[in-house]
Order: sequence, then C-alpha cells, then structure tokens
Amino acid sequence: MDNFKKKFVEEAVDLIDGLEKSLLELEENPEDEAIVQKVFRVMHTLKGNSGMFGFEMIDSFTHEMETVYDLIRNHKLSVSREILDLTLAAVDHLKILLDEENYSNPDVQANHKMLLSKVADIINADQATPEETLPLPAEHTNTDRNGDQGASYYILFEPNSSIFDNGTNPLYLLDELHSLGEAKVYAHLNRVPPLKEIDESLCYTYWEAILYTESTVNEINDVFIFVEDESNIEIQKIMDGNVLANEQFVGELDNLSSIQKDIGFNAVQRLAVGIAKSSTTTPKSTAKGKDRVIAKDASISSIRVAADKLDMLMNLVSELVTTQARLSLFAEESAVPGLVPIAENVQKLSRQLRDIAFSIVLIPIENMLTRFQRLVRDLSSELGKDVIFATEGAETELDKTIIESLVDPLMHILRNSLDHGIEEASVREKAGKPKQGKITLKAFYSGANVMIQISDDGAGIDPEMITQKAIAKGIISAERRLTKREVLELVFLPGFSTATKVTDVSGRGVGMDVVKRKIADIRGEVEIDSEKGVGTTITIKLPLTLSIIDGLLVKVDDTNFIIPLSVVDKIYAVEHEKIAKTFNNVVVLDGKQVPFFYVRREFGHPENSERYEQVIVVNFEEKSVGLVVDSVIGEYQAVLKPLGKHYKNQDMISGATILGDGTVALVMDTNKIIKLFANHEDFAIDSEEPYNKSK
Amino acid sequence: MNQDNLSRINSYLSFKLGDEEFAAHVGKVLNILEMTKITEVPKAPVYMKGVINLRGTVLPVIDTRIKFGMTPTEYTTNTCIIVLDIDVDGENIQVGALVDAVQAVLEIEKGQIMPPPSIGSKYKSEFIEGVANIDEKFIMILDMDAVFSTEDVTDLLTKTEETENTTEIEEIS
Repeated sequence: MDNFKKKFVEEAVDLIDGLEKSLLELEENPEDEAIVQKVFRVMHTLKGNSGMFGFEMIDSFTHEMETVYDLIRNHKLSVSREILDLTLAAVDHLKILLDEENYSNPDVQANHKMLLSKVADIINADQATPEETLPLPAEHTNTDRNGDQGASYYILFEPNSSIFDNGTNPLYLLDELHSLGEAKVYAHLNRVPPLKEIDESLCYTYWEAILYTESTVNEINDVFIFVEDESNIEIQKIMDGNVLANEQFVGELDNLSSIQKDIGFNAVQRLAVGIAKSSTTTPKSTAKGKDRVIAKDASISSIRVAADKLDMLMNLVSELVTTQARLSLFAEESAVPGLVPIAENVQKLSRQLRDIAFSIVLIPIENMLTRFQRLVRDLSSELGKDVIFATEGAETELDKTIIESLVDPLMHILRNSLDHGIEEASVREKAGKPKQGKITLKAFYSGANVMIQISDDGAGIDPEMITQKAIAKGIISAERRLTKREVLELVFLPGFSTATKVTDVSGRGVGMDVVKRKIADIRGEVEIDSEKGVGTTITIKLPLTLSIIDGLLVKVDDTNFIIPLSVVDKIYAVEHEKIAKTFNNVVVLDGKQVPFFYVRREFGHPENSERYEQVIVVNFEEKSVGLVVDSVIGEYQAVLKPLGKHYKNQDMISGATILGDGTVALVMDTNKIIKLFANHEDFAIDSEEPYNKSK
Repeated sequence: MNQDNLSRINSYLSFKLGDEEFAAHVGKVLNILEMTKITEVPKAPVYMKGVINLRGTVLPVIDTRIKFGMTPTEYTTNTCIIVLDIDVDGENIQVGALVDAVQAVLEIEKGQIMPPPSIGSKYKSEFIEGVANIDEKFIMILDMDAVFSTEDVTDLLTKTEETENTTEIEEIS
C-alpha cells in the first residue's frame, strides 16, 4: 500500500505543478474557459485520488476548491485576483499536505482552517446573490439548450487494453452513463482473440453508446474523467431531442451493429437525420450539430520512467562506448579481415544510442520556469514592485541533473534582480523608465553549450560602489586599476554583498559566490554584465550533458589528454624552435598573435626535441589560446569519470576517461586553463586591458 | 559482509615500505594489483602518483612512501598497488596505495596488539592502531582511514627521519 501511496504522491506533485502553471496562465487570460476546465479537472482528479489513498485533508480541501471552480466554469463566478491568490495559497498548502507527517502540525492545521473558511466565504458570497439560487452543480441553468429538452449524444468508449491494471471496471462507467438518462450501449467484441490467446488481464472490448440526457457534454465527460488518459473517448452530439424514442432508429441501429463491426458517429448521424426528416417530429433541427466537442487522442505519447533506471541506462551506454573504443582499437591492430567494418558499425550504433539516451534525460527548462514565475509574482507584490517576468526559449533542453542543480542558483539571481535590480515604481518614473519593471529569462543553444541569460531593466550595478567596497574590505588595493569586467567579477567573491541594508530577500553576503560555486559544480560558468541605470544581465553557460563528450585525443610525453572538441578551433603544426625560443609566449598563426600554453612545460613534463609541435587553438569567450602538444591522435568519445576527492583541488583537469587500451586519459578543462592563464600577470590576452605590462 | 562481521575478523595484510613492515586490517583492503601504468595528473601534490583504470573506474594512486616521509617508490617486480576502501568524512572512497611489497595475511589476536608506544616512536600515534610482535618482528598496524584521508599533507613522522630510510631502499629494489 505504501507503494501506491508513493505513486500517488508522485502523481499529485505533477498534478499540482501543472495546476500552478495553469493558474498563472489563467491570471493572464481570465476569460479562457479551457484553462478553467483544466484547473477544475486537476482538482477533480486530485480529489478522487487523495480520497482513494486516505489523504482526507486533501480530499476535503480539494472538494471545496473544486466547488469554486465549478462555479466559475458555470459562469456563476468570475475569475478574480482574490480567487487566484487563494488558489495559489491553496496549491502551496496542498504541497504541504502531501507529506502526512505535516498533518499534526498546528500551523498547518491553522492554515488549513483559515483557507477553508476563505473558500467558504467565496462560495457563500456567490450563493447569496439572488438571481443564482441553484445550489447543486448537477442542476445547471440550461442556457445553451432550447427549453427543457435534452439532447442525444453518440459516445465511443475505447479503453486501452491495460485499463484493468488500475482496477477500473469499465462496466461501472457504462452504468453511470445509464444513470444520466436513457442509454443504449453496444459492446464490440470483435477484437477478442481466440480463447487460447486471451490474456485475462487485458481488456479487449470497446463500446459505443447512444445517450439521451439533459446533462451537458461536460457532465458526460466527467463520467470518464478518471480513464480519459487511458482511453479513446469520443462524445458527439447527434441532435436535440431523444433519438432513442424512435423505434425505427433503434431498429436500424441494431441492424447496423450486427453487420458492421463499428457503427461510427457518421452512420448514427446519417440515420438520425434520415429519421428526423421522415418522421418530421423535429423539423427545425436538421441537425447540423456536428460540433465535435471532444476528440481525445489517447495514444500514449510519453511514459514515466523511474529516474534510477535512466541513470542505469546512462551508465550502460557509457560502458558500451568504452567497450566500443576497445573493439575499434583491437580491430585496427589485428589483421582479421572484415573486423574493421564491424567495429565501425558498432561505433556508429553506439554513437546513435548515446545520442538517443542523452536526449531521453534531457528535459525542457520549462519545467522549472513555473516556480520562477511564481517567485516573481509573489515577491514583487511583497516588495510592492510591479514586475513582469518574460521567458524566451523555454523549450531549450538540458540534462535533468543539471536542471535540478540549477534551480537554487537561478532563484537566487532572480531574488537579487527583484530586490536590488528593479527600482520602486516612483524611482523608475523619475528615471524615465516604464513603471513596470521587466525581468527576462532567455535560454538558447550555443555550440555544445546552453546559455541562460537573466536580465532586468533595473538600476544596474555601480562599478564605483563595488570598487569602493572592495577597497574598504581589503580585497583589492586602492592603486590597482581594474577593467569594468574585473570589477563586476568581484561580486562573485565570498562575503561580498553590495546591499547596503540586509533585507529578508537577499543581501546576507552568501550570495553570488554560492551561485558561482553551484554552477561550477555542474561545469558551468557565470558572467555578469551591468550598465548603471540600464540594467544587469547575468549569463550562465552550461554544458549540454555531464557524462559523455566528444573530444580530441592528444598526446603529451607519455600522457594522453582529451580536449573537448566543442572548443577546438584549428590545429597548426609549428616548428619546435618557434615555441621553445619565444619569450613572451606568443606565436603568430595565420597572421594573428596567439598566446600559447606549452603543456609540457606547464604540466611538468621534460621538454622534447621533436621538430614540430602541434598547436591546438581553443576558444573561450572571444579569447583564443594555443595548446602546445606533441601529437594529435584523433577524435574520441570520452566518458567522463571524476578524479575523486583526492584531486579536489585540481583545476585544469575536469575528469578522466578510459581509453580503448585500458589506460587513462585526462580531460583538460580548457575554459579553466584559459582563465587561469589569462589572469596570469605575464600574459595580457584580455583585449580590454591595455598591453603595457613588462615582458 | 557487514561492518560488524568485518571488525570481528582478526586478519591483517602486511606490507613492506623499505625495511619496515606495516599491516592493514583486511576489511579495508579490496584488492591487490600488480604495478601498471599510472597516468600522472599534473599540478597535484607529490604523493599523488596519478590515476589508473580499475575495471572501468578511475582510481587515484598514492605513493605511500612519500606520504610516510620516505623517498619516492622505485618500481620493482614486487611493487604493488593495494586498493583500499577508506572512510573520508563518512563517505567511502577507494584509493590505491603503492607499496614496495605485499607480505602476507596474518592472524593477529586482539590480545597480541599492544598500544602504540607514546614515547620514542618514530610515527605519530594517531595513525597507528597498535603494534604487534610477530616472530620477533614488530609490525605496525595502521589506521588506514586516517593515513589516506584527503588531507593535503599527512606527515606520518613525528620528526624528520627520512635520512634513516633512504639508505635502505637500494637493498630492496
């Protein structure tokens, strides 16, 4: 049973997330009935599920909330800020209620009571209005129907064969249909296999029904609400009035069902129209009523998979890639005819498999945006600021583990923007800016990286203020002249908070350094750019995935290194003399001066005397650096493995990988190398910096 | 086997560094590997020899001799890598320890283990669980968790006495 509960909680979390998103959408378009429907449906599902698994507090609570949205959906209430605020508070409350341990917490109980009474106020306020006195949702005002007559509907109910797995009995649903009005149901058994092949756990039957009822389509739909995801359900209006009252129609229908395996809506419609014409009982309704109300595509387009299974898959793919490398090497070395093409085929397949496996664990960043939307909404009203949050590129996909570790840093950045970035409305007006502030989150691909940019049109960062503060804190000396970029980099230092007053929201000094560290943990980079009075932009650069990269395998002395292929620009062969004899570590390539990093020297290997060196030019943030290595072996798919805790202080190597011959190659972190290299006093490759240093 | 059962076993793996014999509880030893090619990791502490491939995972290898204040290990046919499972801040991690030679698995009863001498000992007592006298030889039983923790420099010696050991290496290699 605990297992089921876990599953319920998992599902409920998804539902609640969806609910939150829908609510925020509803706020934008309060008139959109489709969204109201969606909200109602989620509440309904939550209510049903929680009741089933004994979460009584959720059950009773969602029941009340559902009532509110039922009123909205029947136009007895309109969506208001008050209702949305309450519902969002309710969503938060529901999240808490999902953990049963919270039930006894007095705070939770008090909150529960408070929310319930508020909901009751809304419902009562509605019922107090004189013109709407019908209390039960089951008896609606029949505005869309002519008089007191009902209508006839065609219903196709085609459950998936696995519907029994949930313990659903489709016959109960049909019983429920009968309770709505007069119904005639045809069961189709043509898909039932011969007795020998029957799997008793599967459902082979599907049904067609003709229903005459006074209920609305929505109410018919509600019958199937719990199975709509697992079934193909079609509900279409045939005509006003009761077709089942006509014996001729029923007779024809029986006839049809016995010769045809499906009757189909069109046939029913034709029959009904024909009869309506001949009998002339309802002359006005030539039943053009082909308003297809709901046609749900029930083919399952996605499935849920446990996260640890995905991790296992990724591990296996990694193993496969490593083994494939061994096979390729073996095939090349041994002279067995025909082995090389096989090895190449395996390589191709494993590459495809790797790409697919990766795409499985990629999820769109949209999944975390709802949370931010909510944060901006709540926080801006708390701070008394008017801020809109715009997103671009929400469909950009990232590794799920990256997304998980990205939420906290992004939250922090957004909080900073809201608190310190965006000014009060009055200040903004004085500065000639629109009263409403704007925070934009933009995500896009850039090579093998994903960039996430958060920009606000707020006050920006004053470089002067930061410099003053850094000097006051003794981080930099007063004489040192820093470029603007270097100044802005200072905000990432631990304990550096520029907020003059500590607010509830940010400014405790545990800010941007934590952000930077967390992003660095997932091999990402953070950069900040700001214009005083115009706004601030924070750019986060992330790798697409964490575990396998395309790399260039190179050799230095007897050590193999992998350079991520995504940063490699060009490879040059340069005479050893040119490298060894220069004293400013710059080599001229294609007429351009390129500073180089002599790997042998820097990594403490003895210098060699080969005639040529290979210079691999790598790019990072508009900077180019040449890495000098002995030889280039070729392209290599590298499965990244951590070096372990003993190498935690290792900066220039981001991991290791195992080569086909079983030896270990080290993966260079070129971005770090370039950064460390660029900060080195001896080399002035930062274009912003005047080139006036000695040496 | 769980931790309880392991600690009740009285087996110790003894190994040699230079002329001195040390021992580690078998519960800490996962594997003994022959010497293989070690990939050196640049810009790392001297005692971090590099990494090797241990059945698909990357295993850091520590030069135990340097860690113990002796001269670096010289590779011979007897040089071995002992794969240890050590506990660092509550997390189990694996490291390889280079040793000059692996000796034997000894049964040492709890009663045979004497507390480390507090005075006159060459090594810091917090790294030594005890001393056992086997066949008139003293074997130092090490606390592997303490010795191979990720601390940057673990100086096992109380005072610098490397000079004593340097002469002995040649005899073994």
